[in-house]
Amino acid sequence: MRLRNKKGQLHLTETIAVLFIFFVLIVFGLIFYFKYQQYSLKEEQEQLVISNAIRTTSKVLFLPELQCSKGAAEPEDNCIDLMKVRHVAEVFDRHLTDYYYPIFGYSKIVINQIYPEQKEWVIYDHPKPIYANETIIPLESTYFTLTLKDESLGGENIHYSFGYIQVGVYP
Amino acid sequence: MNRSARSKLGQMEIIGLVIIVILITLGMLFMATFSFKENKQKKIFTRELLAYSTMSALMKTTITDPGCAQEYGTETSPQLEKDLLEDCALNYDSAKLGGYSLYRCGGQHSCAFLTTLTKQLLDQTVGKWGKTYQLQSKLYLAGDTVGKTILDVKSSSQGCPIGAERDTSKPFFLNTEIGLVENVLYICD
Repeated sequence: MRLRNKKGQLHLTETIAVLFIFFVLIVFGLIFYFKYQQYSLKEEQEQLVISNAIRTTSKVLFLPELQCSKGAAEPEDNCIDLMKVRHVAEVFDRHLTDYYYPIFGYSKIVINQIYPEQKEWVIYDHPKPIYANETIIPLESTYFTLTLKDESLGGENIHYSFGYIQVGVYP
Repeated sequence: MNRSARSKLGQMEIIGLVIIVILITLGMLFMATFSFKENKQKKIFTRELLAYSTMSALMKTTITDPGCAQEYGTETSPQLEKDLLEDCALNYDSAKLGGYSLYRCGGQHSCAFLTTLTKQLLDQTVGKWGKTYQLQSKLYLAGDTVGKTILDVKSSSQGCPIGAERDTSKPFFLNTEIGLVENVLYICD
């Protein structure tokens, strides 16, 4: 009788141990799954911000306020007019809420010239109100190389500089 | 319990263990495939556009070095593709010896100057954004099927080799007096 009792206890312990391991495995699986979900959600959010930045870049590249154009002729590909760039920030500021905010949203657009000399023009900067007191604001940026046309230098040739546009979207 | 029953029980336990191992392995493989899955389409789209825009911007760039005018004696601002690349193609044979070229920007032969400048510009843009690149210009003389490489600028010793996941700007052609120059920019991640 006592031997049987012991055998029963042994079986019970064995069952408890198996169940314990089983639940440990399930808990591990769940932790792993939730961690993975968290990671993929974050990645998806980043992808969304990047897509937004790409969309904004395309809008900027085809904006008549910046494009290299001459009368009724076709605008030049991947080209931004420096004479327009120098004054466009004022126009963007003046019509921020009624026109440009719906187009660019919360973003920062910077035109950088690399050659012949390094220059930078911040043409649009509209951070989210939550960043009002922050000094360093995180930005998801996309870059796109450009030709910067300058007709203000005079001479018979039009000068084309090499640069890029940086479009950062506030997450 | 007799011997055969014990042996059967042992076999069943082993089978259970094997099933658990298989299930864990499958789970891990499943997770690994998900983690390494990338948004390839978007990457390719961005790279292709970047390659095209970079090439188009490079080719249009005006050189402002005062030394470019040496042959003319007056101030001139040659354009990278239309003037300098054509000059390089025309005088490629003398490039290695530092011989004659119409433009002497930075005191260098057109081909040497182009190599230095394009590397500098590409390093400051595409290279800075974590991409590797390779810019190639080939000269096809009349009747030639195999072009002569006149410009080969790489981000590193390897550049963007054929087997790598790369996108191209599509060829930019330049018609010169001696033949056709084909310019291509490859960009890899």
